[in-house]
Amino acid sequence: MNIIVCLKQVPNPDLQFQIAPSGTDIKRDTLNYKVNGCDEYALEEAVRLKEKLKGKVTAITVGPKRTEQMLREAMAKGADEAVRVSYEDPAALNSYQVSKILAEAIKKIPHDLVLTGVQSDDYIYSQTGAMMAGFLSCPHVSVVTKVTVEGQNLKINRELEGGDQEIVSTKLPALLTIQSGINQPRYAPLPAVMKAARAPIREIKPQDVGAQSWDQFAGGFQFKVRKVYLPPSRGKAEMFTGKASDTAAKVAQLLKDKGFWRGG
Amino acid sequence: MPQGVLIVAEHRDGKIQGPTLEMVAKGRDLVSKHGGKLSVALFGHGVDALAEELAQYPVDQVLVGENETLKSYTPEGYSQALKAVVDQADPLVILMAHTTQGYDFAPRLAADWNLPLASGCVDVAVEGQGIVVTRRVLNEKIAVDLEFGGAPRYVVTIRAATFKPAEKGGAGAQVQKVAVQVDAAKIIRKVLGVEKPQVADVDITAADVVVAVGRGIGKKENLVLVQDLAKMLGGVVGASRPITDAEWLPKSRQVGQSGKTIKAKLYIGCGISGAMQHVAGMKDSGLIIAINTDPSAPIFEYAHYGVVGNILEVLPSLMKSLKS
Ligand SMILES: Cc1cc2nc3c(=O)[nH]c(=O)nc-3n(C[C@H](O)[C@H](O)[C@H](O)COP(=O)(O)OP(=O)(O)OC[C@H]3O[C@@H](n4cnc5c(N)ncnc54)[C@H](O)[C@@H]3O)c2cc1C
Repeated sequence: MNIIVCLKQVPNPDLQFQIAPSGTDIKRDTLNYKVNGCDEYALEEAVRLKEKLKGKVTAITVGPKRTEQMLREAMAKGADEAVRVSYEDPAALNSYQVSKILAEAIKKIPHDLVLTGVQSDDYIYSQTGAMMAGFLSCPHVSVVTKVTVEGQNLKINRELEGGDQEIVSTKLPALLTIQSGINQPRYAPLPAVMKAARAPIREIKPQDVGAQSWDQFAGGFQFKVRKVYLPPSRGKAEMFTGKASDTAAKVAQLLKDKGFWRGG
Repeated sequence: MPQGVLIVAEHRDGKIQGPTLEMVAKGRDLVSKHGGKLSVALFGHGVDALAEELAQYPVDQVLVGENETLKSYTPEGYSQALKAVVDQADPLVILMAHTTQGYDFAPRLAADWNLPLASGCVDVAVEGQGIVVTRRVLNEKIAVDLEFGGAPRYVVTIRAATFKPAEKGGAGAQVQKVAVQVDAAKIIRKVLGVEKPQVADVDITAADVVVAVGRGIGKKENLVLVQDLAKMLGGVVGASRPITDAEWLPKSRQVGQSGKTIKAKLYIGCGISGAMQHVAGMKDSGLIIAINTDPSAPIFEYAHYGVVGNILEVLPSLMKSLKS
């Protein structure tokens, strides 16, 4: 079984962000990036399926040069090949275009199954997977928490709200968006990290999919980032800052005042 | 010219899902500002009662696609049914809730019909024949306004709990059956059943005090800090999803969209950022205290009291202060 797993590099979200002078992006020069949360689970699921069923795992991303680091990590964790689609827009807010580009690239790679994460932690669109399935004309299932392959059939648990799981089946070739918690992702063994550092990364450019430029895949409609800004604070919290012993004492007093501490 | 709003209703276990009524509220607002009708598409098998119920809300028409093959949601079935409804209503905006069904259906529809999709929005407005949406990104810390234009219509999904659900009232909408053509052979996904979560070790929804722990705890060994605090306060330990994903605590402890919804008298969030899927499960708690090293963490927007600090230092100090 040949599996393609789509990975995205996202800025570490624990940082404080600033608006770029253009007003249509955040400042990016000071960011550090990591692999998107559920994509790690998608990669692990792909590698486990391959270990069981034989075949190949290809890790693919759409993004600038910096994403090669993430692809190397993926190879160290069991991906056999890596592909970077060289789309250089660091913000990549046009999800339709990104999905379309990714789908065009994937059409060039033999595959039975495509995996993505449920959503990316930075933009939380939850679009790329199911949209790509449309462009690839294959069935899809979103928010997957369990996959069993039975010949050409897939038996799948799909998460609903409140912890309910819907059990569905679909047919290969298919696209699944993988939810966090489906497995316990592995750590990369050191020799594999060393090997991946030297492994080749295939690059796909517009010409490789028969296009003049990536603009060709922007959809037939207009898309524009009007404004990126700091949201008005809804917060009304009383904040305690300073030394831990001081802030803790204030919280302790608060809990006593509100009757949540009865001593003991 | 396409005009107005068409909502795709979501129902489970014979009940209209809450976020659908939130979409009705927003849809009403859109058509009152920009004109056109507010229509609701309802697909299923034996859904007459649901259609009558929806008609009591302030919508203009309920368009019902009734078919054996639409008993459960499938993207293939729903998109075939939606075709006939959209041909009839000709809406400018197709509106859905950003739920797991919304994640599954909206992007597929947008790709298959070559329509722009704005998903997970917190607001939407119509400008001419285009739309402008507001989204929250980067862990809620940044807002983005996006413009879409030049398309016959737009698919929009809105986050749950963004708008208050519509209330019954209005003139009473017209319920109309639409002759939907569904080719069962095109429905590749088969729905085999639904599994409910297993019985919980403790029921966190019944607890007055929940000390919730998130990824900020760093190591499993550190959980003892929140366990001790919960015990001192006569409460239970809850968790964000990364903690249950890692199996540090059982799934039954998870607070949020895919876990439990709690209304505790006291909720203390320890090293939890406050992602919307978590907040959905705790925002209605009585007293909310959050402890986080990041002063821009979105959990502070919902907290009554916030501590900017390291839980590994604050929690031991807090327990010491309580005892003194
Ligand atoms: C379909 C779907 C359903 C979901 N359902 C749920 C759900 O039901 N419940 C849920 O919780 N999530 C759910 N999620 C996941 C959700 O999107 C977030 O990823 C998750 O809530 C983040 O958990 P967290 O806050 O613990 O981790 P993070 O977002 O990583 O935040 C950790 C926080 O800890 C802080 N921190 C780090 N170190 C310290 C320290 N020493 N002291 C103090 N603070 C520290 C950081 O500043 C950060 O704010 C769902 C996601 C999807 C896609």
